[in-house]
Amino acid sequence: MALPQEAYQALEDIVGAENVSNDAAVLDSYAFQWLADLVRPNLSHYMPRPVAVVMPGSTEEVQAIVRLANKYKVKVKPHGTGWYHWAAPIYDDRDSLQLDMRRMNKIEIDEKNGIAIVEPYVIHAQMHAEAIKRGWSCTIIGAGCSCSVIAAACAYSGIGPGTFWMGGQAENVLGMEWVAPNGEIVRSGSLGSGDGWFCSEGPGPSVRGIMRGSLGARGGLGVYTKCAVKLVHWPGSTDWPVQGTIPAYRLPLDETFRAYTLAVPSWEAWADAYYKIYDNEIGYIFHRQFNLAGADLAPTFWLMYNDHTKTLGDVPDMIKQPGMAELTEEMRISFQLVMAGRSVADIELQDKVLDRILEEVGGWKVERYCEKDMAEFTNIYLNRLGHKHINFVWVGGYIGSWMQPGTPDWVKEYVPTAIAGLERDAKDGLLVQCGGDAMMGTGGAYPGGGVMGLEQFVSYDPNDEASTRAGIKHMEDAVTDAASIGYPPGKEALYLEMGHSDDRTFKKWANAKQPFAFIFQRKIKEHFDPNDLGDRMYNYIPEEYEPAKKA
Amino acid sequence: MALEEFRADAMRCTRCSYCKWIPFDLVKSWEFSKGCPSVDYNNFHSYSGGGRLITMLSLMDGRSEVNDRVVDIAYKCQLCGNCDITCKVCRYDMNVLDALREFRRTLNEQGQVPVAYPGIIAKLRESGNMIGAPQQRRASWADGLGLKQLGVDGVDKAEVVFHAGCRYSFDPSLRSAVRAAATVLTKAGCDFALDGAEGCCGGKAYDMGYRDDFAAVAKANLERWAAAGVKKVVTPCATCYYTFKRLYPEVGSTIEVLHTVECADRRIKDGSLKLTRPVPVTVTYHDPCHLGRQGEPHVPWDGKEVKIYGQAVVYDPPRPRYIGAYGVYDPPRDVLEAIPGLELVEMERSREAAWCCGAGGSVREAYPEFNAWTAGKRIEEAGSTGAEILATACPGCEKNFAEAVSASGTKMKVLDVLELVEQAL
Repeated sequence: MALPQEAYQALEDIVGAENVSNDAAVLDSYAFQWLADLVRPNLSHYMPRPVAVVMPGSTEEVQAIVRLANKYKVKVKPHGTGWYHWAAPIYDDRDSLQLDMRRMNKIEIDEKNGIAIVEPYVIHAQMHAEAIKRGWSCTIIGAGCSCSVIAAACAYSGIGPGTFWMGGQAENVLGMEWVAPNGEIVRSGSLGSGDGWFCSEGPGPSVRGIMRGSLGARGGLGVYTKCAVKLVHWPGSTDWPVQGTIPAYRLPLDETFRAYTLAVPSWEAWADAYYKIYDNEIGYIFHRQFNLAGADLAPTFWLMYNDHTKTLGDVPDMIKQPGMAELTEEMRISFQLVMAGRSVADIELQDKVLDRILEEVGGWKVERYCEKDMAEFTNIYLNRLGHKHINFVWVGGYIGSWMQPGTPDWVKEYVPTAIAGLERDAKDGLLVQCGGDAMMGTGGAYPGGGVMGLEQFVSYDPNDEASTRAGIKHMEDAVTDAASIGYPPGKEALYLEMGHSDDRTFKKWANAKQPFAFIFQRKIKEHFDPNDLGDRMYNYIPEEYEPAKKA
Repeated sequence: MALEEFRADAMRCTRCSYCKWIPFDLVKSWEFSKGCPSVDYNNFHSYSGGGRLITMLSLMDGRSEVNDRVVDIAYKCQLCGNCDITCKVCRYDMNVLDALREFRRTLNEQGQVPVAYPGIIAKLRESGNMIGAPQQRRASWADGLGLKQLGVDGVDKAEVVFHAGCRYSFDPSLRSAVRAAATVLTKAGCDFALDGAEGCCGGKAYDMGYRDDFAAVAKANLERWAAAGVKKVVTPCATCYYTFKRLYPEVGSTIEVLHTVECADRRIKDGSLKLTRPVPVTVTYHDPCHLGRQGEPHVPWDGKEVKIYGQAVVYDPPRPRYIGAYGVYDPPRDVLEAIPGLELVEMERSREAAWCCGAGGSVREAYPEFNAWTAGKRIEEAGSTGAEILATACPGCEKNFAEAVSASGTKMKVLDVLELVEQAL
């Protein structure tokens, strides 16, 4: 498959020859994606290769590209930073243009109103840095500060460790600008009435629910070109005085900050602690972060990581050192809490409240991890989320399974099954054996908490066929395990679905308990995407799959 | 090594794009958050560290073929090493910079190089330096300084040799810097000799993928030093420093290597070099890639990958992990801060996160526009500190910055650290 020469020439005319390519090697750097090997034939690391990659520099250029794509009936797949297999084209039998949005990378901070206005290639680290120096902060999504703000706000889930207090980007998004697949530029919320960026719902038309919904269309329905998001109060130092040595930098704690690793004796106590922390409105960032390395190894792993003279190969010896077995047990059910007070008196009160909560649930502060070095590391880790790709630290392959969001009482019920599942699937050594509990998760999937989730971190070697197949089997097992206890499929099902055909997926959605949502979304797609430039990342079912039609 | 030996690095790349930025914890602004000049200038993902790994994999998999674009991807990069250390913030099993060098070597062996390369390497082969200058003029920079010179006036032995490097030896615009370095060391009481038959270090040839040429000049230098009883090489050039310290051990060198700022730092701290004259200026310091994040000591390794805990990758014996933690960062800063009246201000991207000057990886020779653009970005950053002077410790950086300052019309001065020290003597 190839783009007609006149179409390619037209792309060059729109963005300049230097900003479009159909070179095979260049295109493969877009086709290659994390998770592709888990869903593609023959464990290929490549998603379908686009016919060209285009880098627009403005909303008008995006619009011109989309209009051209309509003319030639070529699919359009935009991405921000381009991470995840669904950032790439998903169809082998349809030509797709990959839009790499990196030339649209401007940010504007409305300091007075606490708003950041961003283009697609502004990442969370940039927005966070610009906010901090003005006394603001922001939610950074769980995937880390390397990710595009627009992707989180307009196109994907958008929650993170700070959601508990700061909200998720899906909620924080205000005015939005969108080039729909039909080439129309849609401005949503107050932006649509020419009143600026301050509100997502009006004055003016709000199509936020269409553009992003809950999960987001993941590049499946047009191109988001600009949006505004809310910033949040930052009661810390505005000069970001980072210290320490690569890779484990540290952020000293201001007198109004605390960074704790807390532990509890049981999952029952864990849920109770969560509720009490919500109810008492303490905490700034709330996350079960460090356990991503696995409960058997994480306490040792992070101490190793904080010693830049050591490597992964030192973990087996370090774990045998005196006190490490006890520390491992002490931290078995642990999580991190960063607290920020508006005054010294405020943080001291939060401390008292936390101590009372721990007393009531039988929990404790993990002393070693609350010492200055680890507290400062925890502080920077959770505030900046610049280490999120430690997900991949063991061997480069990582699967997130489970992560069904719900109340803590609901989540705690699936934890034992998730732990047993990983222990079972890692028994033969084809997955990293770091303990069955490698569950990490945010303290709040909605602002204020109350809804959260835990994700099982499963590591496999993408350079090893048997290990990769074990990873696939684990994902399939996780779906079965969840069903066996009456839970819906988790994140692994989203990953796996990328390898399924449209037919299989549409049939599944047609059999959903409430398929009307998929039918409704088709009608939206028919309006905004009459030539089917998008893909099923915008979830819908074609007319011929509708249950009523089938009947 | 062969390209295939980096297949695992490519297969385990997660396309996370950390390689495009400075370590995220260090980001203090939108403007100075970017770490990779190559992808910032060329934009396509292929021009990042991870993108190059994928390009290599695509070639190995037979999905694409070497063409002009692939050559451009491989060589339009300063090999500054930012991608390597940012990748290692989260990974212990990746060596991106080594892979990028192997990519070039492989293409070079196929005759696939930028247009400028053959002419440059021909000069090295014909003249002993890549500038093509007559070898007999090499030591003329030191005229009038009264320095000892191996092979001249009966000097046939020296424990310490001063290696000026090709740029300092032949570029008149850099003469004051190299003369300042020699003068400062002399005033500090250092006993050294110039190498009368000094040759190119070969570092540039290595980066360009001409490994045989590198090996030949390294062998010649090491044999000549051995015959003269040289135990230590002191150089004011960051690239020569890197080459001697990190690359020469691969061909058997055990010689001690010091940069001139390290010598000055030691002499200031032991009291043998006294800086008394005030130099009331505001200075910002640029960390040269080869002195900073790539200036870590060489650690020999010959081992293999093994797995623990089922699939976790480690190495037997432990593999050295170059993360930019042990580069030469403090000596130049300590030297500057020892100058009375001088105020040192930092750029946002400093130490291991320093933005490249643009010249590295032979980009200066092969891609002059890209080179100038990269240098210009650094001048903007230096200007944002309010400094009057941009100091560095590498002739490549100094030359590039001087040209960028000239092109930009700013008033900033570019000086070597030891030129400022000389003013304080």
